[in-house]
Amino acid sequence: MLNILVCVKQVPDVNLVKIDPETGSLIRAGVPAILNPHDENALEAAVQMKERYGGSVTCITMGPDQAAEALRECLAAGADRAVLLSDRAFANADTLATSYVIATAAKLLGSFDLIFCGKESLDGATGQMASQLAERFDASQLSCVLEILSLDEKSRTLTAKRELENGMETACAAWPCLMTVEKTNYRARIPNLKSWKASRKAELLSFNSRSIPGLDPEQIGDPGSPTKVPRTYPPVVGERGQMLDEGSVDRTVDKLLGLLADVL
Amino acid sequence: MNKNDYRDMWVYIEHDGAAVHPVSLELCCEIRKIADAAGEKLAAVLVGELPEAELEKVLDCGVEKLIRVSGTGYDEFNVDAYTELFTVLCRKYLPTAVFVGGTIRGRDFAPRFACRLPTGCTSDATELVYDAKTGDIEFIEPAVGGKMMAVITVPVMRPQVGTIRPGTFKYLPTGKRPCETIEERVDFPIEQIRTKIVSFERDEQDDSLNIADAEVIVCVGNAVRADSLPKYRQLAARLGGKLACTRPVFDRGLLPFKLVIGQSGTVVKPRLLLSFGVSGAVNHVTGITDSEKIVAINNDADAAIFHYCDYGIVGDMDEVCEALLSMLEA
Repeated sequence: MLNILVCVKQVPDVNLVKIDPETGSLIRAGVPAILNPHDENALEAAVQMKERYGGSVTCITMGPDQAAEALRECLAAGADRAVLLSDRAFANADTLATSYVIATAAKLLGSFDLIFCGKESLDGATGQMASQLAERFDASQLSCVLEILSLDEKSRTLTAKRELENGMETACAAWPCLMTVEKTNYRARIPNLKSWKASRKAELLSFNSRSIPGLDPEQIGDPGSPTKVPRTYPPVVGERGQMLDEGSVDRTVDKLLGLLADVL
Repeated sequence: MNKNDYRDMWVYIEHDGAAVHPVSLELCCEIRKIADAAGEKLAAVLVGELPEAELEKVLDCGVEKLIRVSGTGYDEFNVDAYTELFTVLCRKYLPTAVFVGGTIRGRDFAPRFACRLPTGCTSDATELVYDAKTGDIEFIEPAVGGKMMAVITVPVMRPQVGTIRPGTFKYLPTGKRPCETIEERVDFPIEQIRTKIVSFERDEQDDSLNIADAEVIVCVGNAVRADSLPKYRQLAARLGGKLACTRPVFDRGLLPFKLVIGQSGTVVKPRLLLSFGVSGAVNHVTGITDSEKIVAINNDADAAIFHYCDYGIVGDMDEVCEALLSMLEA
């Protein structure tokens, strides 16, 4: 039976985030929090593996209490259990500190054969979590997985097709293996009403910094994060270009073609 | 950790045995400037063999140290051997910074050796500034979908590790400098490589997907309707150019990833870029700033794209496209 872990994140829907023009900081108020879109694909890959080979899918997240909502979405879409890691002491964590907390907590739940995470988050978008989680779990690592072709429980390996810059690679990886997947074959499924209802009532496992034995306070949150963000500012934009409006589309386009005569 | 114990800025030279990946050359040129500002040496880390002419391209960027690595485990790229190699090298030589091209490989192993060391890792900076007061590099990058710029630093730990996307910086070599070569033999036990390449199928060369060198580009943004795509393809063909798109168009499954312009896609430098229905998020705009002339068409008069264009038209993208097609036919 496969033991599968999916690491997910709740993110603000950045398309709806506005920036305070005075301070350059984010206005998060009223912006809905969603399950990170790439994580939906990671979850789908995990659930497909469970359906094909048998086993269970655990999803885990670090975040504020509200992140429980993202976990319930995972349960509705096929995860079997969900783990929330929430503590003020976890705040301001970069990828190094986050991967440390997630891996330390996940190891309490057993050892995982397959680990999935989204290729990047909508908000931070560093794309570093996969590599750093793989390191924390001492797992082999396959990014850009287009399709998991087969699993072999005897040799504890899997074979997957990866979509690289200049071609398609087929690779064989030892378990535990951490993967990020492409959307193509792992589009998020729409939960049915029954599983959605069950997810509303499901018990979540939760941990804070004191309930994870052996967690080093120096490696979590702000103290555990070597990267800092000393300041942010709105992108500098230049003056608007020359706006063309000759009263009708045809006349405007005609004018444009005249202006472009030397480059056409 | 004493920051003063660390010296030299490193660039990892990614190559396929025949040619250096352009991003490594771009990084050598950019880090040359940062190293000069910091009073540090620029070092290139080369694993395996490279033809002489290609090596010259690297040295021509003003590399002052060449660390040539040989050993077992590196013939085919794999995360296990390269992670351990950079961990070993960083612990031995204590560089202040390590830069790695933001290719799939680079993004696979750089955060991992940063984690193993451990130290801080940043990705996708679009600008690098050396802060003489702190001695730290400021990694400046678009954040929150490009709505703001964030300055990232690694103020305490060393080395400062960064992955940088191809095309972010320019390959403008400033000439050779005296260069010391250091030979390193580091063996990684082959049996400890946990991923094995079974086969590799190179993509067929489809020239319509190569937008990096296109002279004319018609770019469609998220406002494009799926059934309107043929019009834009036709316009691109009529202008002897290529069709491209923004990230959301790829996400909708309308066009392949190779046609995405932007930081996480391709950086383009056409003579003329016609941009239809593109909002102008920073992540996209960083991919078009080297274009000679940019024309933007958008029905939202406040769209950010108008701040990056030479000529702007507020209007229906399909109507403008059709008008262009009919006038160019005439």
